[in-house]
Order: sequence, then structure tokens, then C-alpha cells
Amino acid sequence: MVNLTIDGKEVAVKEGTTILKAARFAGIEIPTLCYHERLNPIGSCRMCVVEIEGLSHPMTACNTPVTEGIIVTTDSPRLQKMRMETLKLLLVKHPLDCPVCDKGGECTLQNLVHEFEIEGTVYLAEREDRESLYPTPLIHYWPDRCIMCLRCATACREIKGLGAIDIDGSGFNTSITAVNRDKCESCGECIQVCPTGALTENLGEYKGRPWMVNRVMTTCTYCGCGCQLEINVFNNRIVGVTTKDGIGVNKGSLCVKGRFGYEFIESEERLSKPLIKKDGKFHEASWDEALSLVAEKFKGIKASHGADAIAGIASARCTNEENYLMQKFMRAVIGTNNIDHCARL
Amino acid sequence: MTDILFSSWGGVVVDNRGKESENYEKIEKVSLPEQFAQDENINALIGWYGFLLRVQDVNIVDMCRAYLTAIQNESCGKCFTCRIGTKVLADTLTRICRGKGQDEDLEVLSRLAEVIREGSKCNIGQSGPISLLDALKYFAKDFEKAIQDKNPIPEGNYTYKLTAPCMDACPIHLDIPGYVECIKEGKFQESLSVITNKLPLPGTLGRVCVRPCEEHCRRTILDEPISIKHLKRFVADNNLEKNKGMSFKPTPSEKTGKVAIIGAGPGGLTCAYHLALMGHEVTVYERHGEPGGMAAMGIPDYRLPRDILGFEADQVQKMGVTIRYNATVGKDVKLSDIDKESDAVFIAIGAQTNTEMGLKGEDKGYKGFIPGVQYLQEVNMGTDPYPEGKKVLVVGGGNVAIDCVRCSFRIGKDDVNLVYRRTKNEMPADHVEIRDAEEEGVKFHYLTNPTRILTKKGKVIGVECIRMELGEPDESGRRRPVPVEGSEFVIECDILVPAIGQAIDLKLLEGEEKVETTRRNTLAVNEFTMQTNNPKIFSAGDCVTGPSTLIRACAGGRKAAINIDRLINGKELKATYEDCFDKLFEKVKVFDSRENIGFLGGRKRLHLEMLPPDERKQTFDEVEKGYSQLEAMSEADRCLRCYRVGMIAV
Repeated sequence: MVNLTIDGKEVAVKEGTTILKAARFAGIEIPTLCYHERLNPIGSCRMCVVEIEGLSHPMTACNTPVTEGIIVTTDSPRLQKMRMETLKLLLVKHPLDCPVCDKGGECTLQNLVHEFEIEGTVYLAEREDRESLYPTPLIHYWPDRCIMCLRCATACREIKGLGAIDIDGSGFNTSITAVNRDKCESCGECIQVCPTGALTENLGEYKGRPWMVNRVMTTCTYCGCGCQLEINVFNNRIVGVTTKDGIGVNKGSLCVKGRFGYEFIESEERLSKPLIKKDGKFHEASWDEALSLVAEKFKGIKASHGADAIAGIASARCTNEENYLMQKFMRAVIGTNNIDHCARL
Repeated sequence: MTDILFSSWGGVVVDNRGKESENYEKIEKVSLPEQFAQDENINALIGWYGFLLRVQDVNIVDMCRAYLTAIQNESCGKCFTCRIGTKVLADTLTRICRGKGQDEDLEVLSRLAEVIREGSKCNIGQSGPISLLDALKYFAKDFEKAIQDKNPIPEGNYTYKLTAPCMDACPIHLDIPGYVECIKEGKFQESLSVITNKLPLPGTLGRVCVRPCEEHCRRTILDEPISIKHLKRFVADNNLEKNKGMSFKPTPSEKTGKVAIIGAGPGGLTCAYHLALMGHEVTVYERHGEPGGMAAMGIPDYRLPRDILGFEADQVQKMGVTIRYNATVGKDVKLSDIDKESDAVFIAIGAQTNTEMGLKGEDKGYKGFIPGVQYLQEVNMGTDPYPEGKKVLVVGGGNVAIDCVRCSFRIGKDDVNLVYRRTKNEMPADHVEIRDAEEEGVKFHYLTNPTRILTKKGKVIGVECIRMELGEPDESGRRRPVPVEGSEFVIECDILVPAIGQAIDLKLLEGEEKVETTRRNTLAVNEFTMQTNNPKIFSAGDCVTGPSTLIRACAGGRKAAINIDRLINGKELKATYEDCFDKLFEKVKVFDSRENIGFLGGRKRLHLEMLPPDERKQTFDEVEKGYSQLEAMSEADRCLRCYRVGMIAV
């Protein structure tokens, strides 16, 4: 164990712990913007600067491991000034377009600017607007809103192991670009970790503000992984899918289907009633009619060709219980062992 | 006497403004050469520790503008303060220089400069605003005047270079912070291409480089240097494991030609590699049956496995380079014939023979008397140079001597001794190697010098030695060993291996048109272009520098390739601006071991796992195991990224 003092509190933590984690352990909050629990410390935002007694240079708490006996100060006029100036610098490029931003209301930058009582853009710089291309039509990248915290690129590399997007350019003109376009799977991990409105989904723009939607926790139905996600509901319509960091087997990650594949629910082409084909054309029917027809046909096939002429293939989108019932039905009712599952194919 | 008007270098302010030149106070912290390139005087320097003005007519406001613009250009964009802050500084200074400054600008400049200096992630942002802060403090009137006058200030003439202490110390100036950062971010292929941008031997150098970079690693001031060498090995091994082959970016020249290279050592291979990238047709003549030169023949497998060097040489051959093995130039092929067939010739034959000890009977061919380079060569070819001998005595204190003793155990010699005339402290061999040899059980006899070879029936039976003591320092700065009279004693041995130095064999030049050599029997070349007095013949590596390091040979090979390309394309051969900056930085010093960094240290380097001494001394298996991915990423995270910009006003 390593002993240290943070804001007068004595703390003992395991070797290799960062100052930020030690502080959180001691119940002391240090402001952060780029730090994300699931990523290696990035160190881009410089908000988590702390002072260490005897050292002339402030250190960033997120990526500095503790050493024995250090005395850390997390709040001082000097540190507050540094944090304040850093936020003011961000507003050189980041527009104060919170009223039209999808992230407004749950934006880390918005919260910090509010907390530090910054009233507007203070510093100016000449800007060269350049088009920045994101790899996918599902995700909208807003270069101006992007504060280049690099969470997205880091998550793409460290969580997804893809490295599809990365920083490009130098200095003020850097932006996030698709460096390996082919590798992008449109999983939206980048959106999930973005602390601002720089990455938004194209499906859900302007459909509802974060504080107006009802978030319903559920299990994704696309496959058997059982990822936990929140359906964002506004006026009884699904306007998006979000996740909670660290929750469920997926710990907040989703694939492209889980994150973006929700529009089918409202689709006009979606079947909501059974159809029976008569004379080459489909006609709407009641469930009783449809099920009776199926039962009749099964019976007929079984009688004329035997039970093994029938096979059942279950869907990966079914639950375990549904799959159980399916095999029970095939074995006990139909009388065949011809069962399979699409995930095996 | 100094001619410097003002200096704030290293935080020490010397202000000679308004003084008579004979009363100028001396600048202790730094010396600024007068010239940058031929006919180009240095009027001012602005950099990581402050700035120096030599002449009055350099406009300090304009110089700060140019410097902060350069800092903004070099800013990687990976931290908020430097990315946006230096842009605001550069833009504000530009506005002032255009005559559009405002009164509040000065306050903004100093406030932001302070925040950027303290808050930036790496040394670009940490060092960039230092000079501006100094200028605002000591040249406040110049800034105020620029704002009040509202006259545009004419832009001065500046030139700059990005460097880092490690990069500067590396002879080939590998972008070390660049490839280390890639490792930290898990971008291993990108990291490898940063290295192969300069040389084709990452796995080789990742094992045996003498790593001058690590001596200049700024992290040393806090705790320990980064394991730069092992990190390089990691990316090379990672690539090899994934069987990827290396990816190269060819950049064909306008005009291409035929180039002959003599020697497939590190210098020859690096030169061939760069020439091939530029599209030239390259033939390498190698006297041995395999590539690598001294790296293959002189370095044992337990330090550098053959397949690593072989793989890297293969990559060079895959680019279209032809290597003709077992072809000794001067014997099998004549230099003049090669010269006739080629547009240029690059000689990289290294230092392949031994320096004599000056003892009687050294040239008699006694059985058991085997010079170091020859000893290593035979061991590396897989033979025991003298199976009859069991007790080995190696003379010398360099890496060759250490390789000889450590090899001896591995070919089954059970009693291995090393005599060195000074103490362990003065030994030029790598201290890690010395430690490894000690662990393996080599007997070191320090302050001992051989005086007589003892023989019986034409066989070595022992060596008479004399005790030494250290006297006054010699020109190398090391204390000169002086014999203690009457202290002679005998060490019994049946194999005597002198390894006190290597010499250059220039037989290939015999009977050829004169190529100039030096008093030290090395080839004389232009230090910037590697060209000999024969415009078509270039040379680099040990045969130019005398016995030196692998990385230095690679650097020479690269430089020669660039200049051979220029020759073929009819361009002028002269020192580049990079060469001029190298010269300048030698004087200005990129690394200051006394610098007060003010960071938290106490994060020691990760050491490599090694085979235990008893096990490893029996085999030629590689002693050091490489880093795992996580280890490499964690070690890379220790890097402080000490990029810095040096700019001069000319």
C-alpha cells in the first residue's frame, strides 16, 4: 500500500493507483473531461491538474501514479485559474449552440462551463474550416463542437480494437478522421464516450432532448449476448438507444444493431398481424386462423410423411425460455429431434 | 569575450544592452556559434530554455511571433492548452506584428503563456511559451511600442527544427518520442513505420544498440530513462510474430541509377534500403556467406539471434536489392570494375581486423592465439576455434572483449578470464553486459596488462601480466594506467584472445586510383555528404569513423544514400539545413542533466525478464526476453515526450 495525503485527508491505496482514483476513493472529486473509466488515461483535457508539495509543476491526476508520502492539493487559486483558462480556450472553437445540440442537458463541457461561470467566448483565433469525414452515415461528426478529448479514438482502439478513427492534422486544425475507413463497424462506441455533442447519431437528431425522454432499461433482442441498453422513449416513440457505462455484460458497449437498429419498431412495413396466402396473395388473418392453419398443415405432413419430415429452426433473437419451449414443442408435440438454431450455422 | 546582447537561456538573464562591447557579461549557460551555414550568420536563437540575441536589429516581437507560430505548427493537438492556447498566442502576436495590436493583448499573452507552460501535456507546450514570457518581461517596451505604433513589422528570416534530447543524441535522429507514443497508444504498426522511416533494422538495433538516446532521456532526471531500446525491439518482434513483413513507402527519384555497395553490414544495408526506396538499382558485394557484417560476425546469437538480422536483410532484398555473397572486393571483383559499371559506389567495409597488442610473438601464429574478431567470427559460424583449449584469457575492455568471454562459456570453455588495464569504471563496454558476464562467472582481472606471451612447442600456455595503477587523466579524460614495476605475475591459459581494438583493412583500394585515406587508416570523406575525394565513391561506417557503433554506421549509410541520389540527379552536394541544425545543437545542447523539471518521479523502468545465468551460459539462446504488449505500453507511458523547437534568426 502507498500512503499519501489529498487535501489534508490521509489515504492508503494500492501501488500503481493514480492520484485521480485515490482521490475518488477518498471521496474527493477532481474535475475531468477526457478521463473515462473504461479507457487508459488520455491526459488531453488538463482539467485534473493537481499540485504536489515540493514540485514546481502541476501534475495531471488521471495519469500520475501515487508515490509514497506525497501531499496533494486538488483545489487552489492557481489550479482553478488553469482549469478556467483551459475551458475558455475550448470555447475558442466550440460554439455555444447548446440550444440546438442533441447533447444539451447531459454535456460534460456544458456542466463545467456552467460550474466555472464562464459567460461566453473570450479568446479568438483565426480558423480554417476544413471538411472532416467520418466513416459512417449513421454517425454525425461536428468538427466545431469536437474538443479533441480523444475519447472516441481511444475507445475505438482500446474497447473495440479497431482503430478506425484517429486524430489527424496538427495544432488548432486537428480533427477526428477516419484513418482506417474500412475498419469502422458503425458500432457507435465513439458516440457513447463523447462528452460533448461532437458525435451524434443521424437517426435521432432533433427528436427529443435528453431530459424529456424516458429511458427504459432492457435487454437487446438481436442476439443471445444479453447486452443491456436503455430505450429512449419520447411521446411513446423510440428516439434512440443509449447505454450506461459499466452496466451489464456489455459494460456500456453495443454493436451497430443494438445501437442503431431500432427503427424497425416504428416501420410501416413491419408485420403486426399474421398473413395467409390465398391465390398467390397475402391476406390479413387473425391469430386463431393462422395458428389453426399451421397446426392443420403440420398434422397433415406428419400423417403422410412422418414426424421427421418436419424440422424446427429457432431464432437467436429468442430468449432462452422461448428456445426451450420450441424444442419441447418439436420433441413432445411434433415428435422429432430435428431441431437447430441459427446461431450454430 | 562574448558578442551576445541578451540571453535568458536556462533562466539566467544576462542583459548587455547599452553596454560597451568590451564590458559584455559572459553567457555561462550556452554558447551560440556565429554561423549556421556557410555565409549565414546566426543573429538570434530562440528555443526551449529561452532566447539569445546577438544583434540589435532582430525584432523581438516578430521573433516571438515566428516562434509561437512554429510551436503551433508542431503542436500535436493532443492536449487542449497547447493545441488552442499556442494558436491564440500565435494569432495575437501576428495581429500585433500587423499593426493591429490592442492594449489588453499583453495581459492575455502573459496569462495564457503561463497556463500553457504549466498545463500542457508535453514539452512542446511546456517549453514553447518560456521565451515569450522572458521577452514580455525583459522587452516589455518593445511590445508596448509595437501595439502603440500600429505599424506593421517586417517579417524577419527564421528557420527552425523540431528535436528532442533523445532524438538529438541518436546519430540517425530517430523520432523516438514519436514511436514511443505510438506504442503507448497501442499503435504498434505505426510505431514500426516511424522507425523504418529511417532504417531497416529495428529488431537488430532493438537488441544491440548502445542507445545514446537513453543517456539523454529527460526522465533520468526524475527516476530512470525510458527503455527505448527494448521498446524498439518490442515493435519489431510484434511485427515478426504477426508475420507481417515490413511495409515501406517508396518515393522514387526523378532519375535513378545503378549503385554498388561494398559490405552488407548495418551501414551497407541501410544505404541499400534508402537507395531502393528512391528507386535505384542496388548491388551489394559481401565477402561472407550471409548478411549483417560485424552485426552478424561479431555479435553472438545470445544477444542478437541470426534470424532477426536475417529477416531484416531479407526485407531489404525483397525491395529489389541484390546481395552477392562470398564476393570479396579486391580479390574476387575489382573495385575499378565495379566503379565502371555503376553510377556511384558506397564503401562500408567496417573495421574487420584486430589492433595488435604490441607483444613479442604476436605474429608467430601460436596455437591458441586467436584475435577477438576472428574468435567471434568462428564461434558465430558455429565452430569452436580451438577445441583443445579449455582455459581462456581475453584481453580488453570493450564490447568485443565481453562478447568473447561470454561466448567462451557457451562453446564449453570452463575457465574464462578477462584482463583489463584500467578498472571497471573506465571499461568502455556496456555496463549491462559487464554485469551479465559477471553473473555468468567470468573472472575479471582489472588493472592488469599482458606483457609477454608464454608458449611451449608453439602453443600458448600462459600470459605474463603486470599490475597497473591509475595515473593522470589522458586525452580521453580517463585516468592513464601506469605499470607497477616488479609486479609481474603469470596467468595460465591455453587460449589467448586479444580484443583491444579493431583496425580497418583497406586492401580493396590497392592498385586502384587514389581514394584518400587519413592518418588513422580510415577513408577520408566529407562529413556532411559522405563523399570521398573521388566524386563517385562514398563511404561511411567503421571504415570512416574507426570502430564505432551500429547506429552510427546506419546514420552514415542513410546520409550516403541521400547524397548518392543527389549525385545521380545532378544536384549539388552540400550540408542540408538538418546538418546545420545538428552542428548548432551540438553547441547549444538539447539535453541538460541539471534541468529542474518539477515533475513527480519515482516510476522506475520495467526490466526485461532474463534467462538465469547458469542456464543461459550453456546455450546461445537469447538471454533477454522481450516486453509483452501491456508491459511495452506501460513502459512507453513513462515517456515525457520532450519534443522542443529550436529556431534561429539569420
